[in-house]
Amino acid sequence: MQAVIKPLSEAKPASAPENLRDERYIEVADFSFFYGGKQALFNVTLDIPEKQVTAFIGPSGCGKTTLLRNLNRMNDLIDGIHHKGDILIKGNSIYDPEQEVISIRKRIGMVFQKSNPFPKSIYENVVYSLRVAGQKNKRHLDETVERSLKAAALWDEAKDRLHESALSLSGGQMQRLCIARAIANQPEILLMDEPCSALDPIATARIEELICELKANFTIVIVTHNMQQAARCSDRTAFMYLGKLIEVGSTAEMFEKPKEKQTEDYISGRFG
Amino acid sequence: MQRTHILATFDEALNALRQDVLMMASLTERNLTSARKGLFERNDEACNHVIADDEAIDQLEKQVDRDGVALLTRFQPVASDLRQVISAMKISSNLERIADQATSIARKARKLNQQSELPEVSLLQPMFQQAFALFADSMNSYVQADVALASVLKSRDKELDALNADIAAKLTERIAEDSKRVADYLNLMFVSRHLERVGDHATNIAEDAVYAAAAADIRHTSERPPLNS
Repeated sequence: MQAVIKPLSEAKPASAPENLRDERYIEVADFSFFYGGKQALFNVTLDIPEKQVTAFIGPSGCGKTTLLRNLNRMNDLIDGIHHKGDILIKGNSIYDPEQEVISIRKRIGMVFQKSNPFPKSIYENVVYSLRVAGQKNKRHLDETVERSLKAAALWDEAKDRLHESALSLSGGQMQRLCIARAIANQPEILLMDEPCSALDPIATARIEELICELKANFTIVIVTHNMQQAARCSDRTAFMYLGKLIEVGSTAEMFEKPKEKQTEDYISGRFG
Repeated sequence: MQRTHILATFDEALNALRQDVLMMASLTERNLTSARKGLFERNDEACNHVIADDEAIDQLEKQVDRDGVALLTRFQPVASDLRQVISAMKISSNLERIADQATSIARKARKLNQQSELPEVSLLQPMFQQAFALFADSMNSYVQADVALASVLKSRDKELDALNADIAAKLTERIAEDSKRVADYLNLMFVSRHLERVGDHATNIAEDAVYAAAAADIRHTSERPPLNS
């Protein structure tokens, strides 16, 4: 049986060396966001480092998913929204009128709370974005499927059934397929919105292990309600409450000695 | 004041753990007091009580460890809660060792009580006083989360070390002068050494109290912890 948890020495692949890492890969600069007349985010300023896992935590309705969905302008699809402030990726504003939203989203993969494979084969799910982009080279598509499924730790389980329906996979496998699909196009950033909330503990452990491996190549931002998951998987944690960023810092420090009383009350279960 | 947890059983478990540590501290203090009585009042019954009661403290140490592990697995505490659990487990271990020192003192006292009284016993009075004060203040710093109090105990422990060295020198001189009572003088030196160890464990407790209150690790360093925590 394959061990779910690897030995500590292998547990976390080396991410970008600290001196080479861009500590301000994503910059959220004094960002406020409004759903019509309702303000959901209040002057959030936050730097997200390259090839690290940053977790957003906070009670329901605190704005963490709203902030996550702003990083790839997913909220643009909602009527009546507007924002103030800016979000920059590698120093370039994602709201720059010269930037195409599609080109931004190509650089950013997203995984949702509930796995959402298309009612197609495993193979077609992975190559979907390449097909949309007009890619027809079979060899390139085959290579992409193998590379993506291996990166999503699904290759061994799926390689003999690539042309079976994706809907025949288990819940955990479907979520890993969605991760494979999200990284098929080789994005720089991976956004994950509670990716394990519908999974059992074993499937959750596999996804968490995967997150630790993927950070060698991707900048990952994860929204989670599971405090222990944030503690296990992330390098940095941001705590949000009522649309405001209360505290951001190294995960180890946040869970041992948070600076803010509100953070301590939330992570230790004293909220409400 | 710290707010209560949404999960009341979490608060109950943390309180139970703390109460067990405080119970251990009370029993340990009682044993130290009885050991002193056994030595200075030449009271064998007090010595026997210390030796018999050590078992209860050993059992409490195991209880604290069991409760601490159960808390970690059931509630997965973080931040100050995590520090409370870790420090409680470490403090209980130090309390058990202080109680062991009290037991060793009681055993030495019983041996000394079988011989005629040595006037040099009085040399140990300041050691007892200083060791008791260190122990009491270490527990006060834990109970009251008093970082300022905890951080001065290290230097006070050095005074206790100096007292021990002084007593050892004086008793060594006496051994040279009076070879008939070598075993008794050695027993007095051991008692002094046990009290010096009480000071070391009290210092450890104070360090754990600082960790619990301020998340600062002041072990093996001369740095002062943050007093505003």
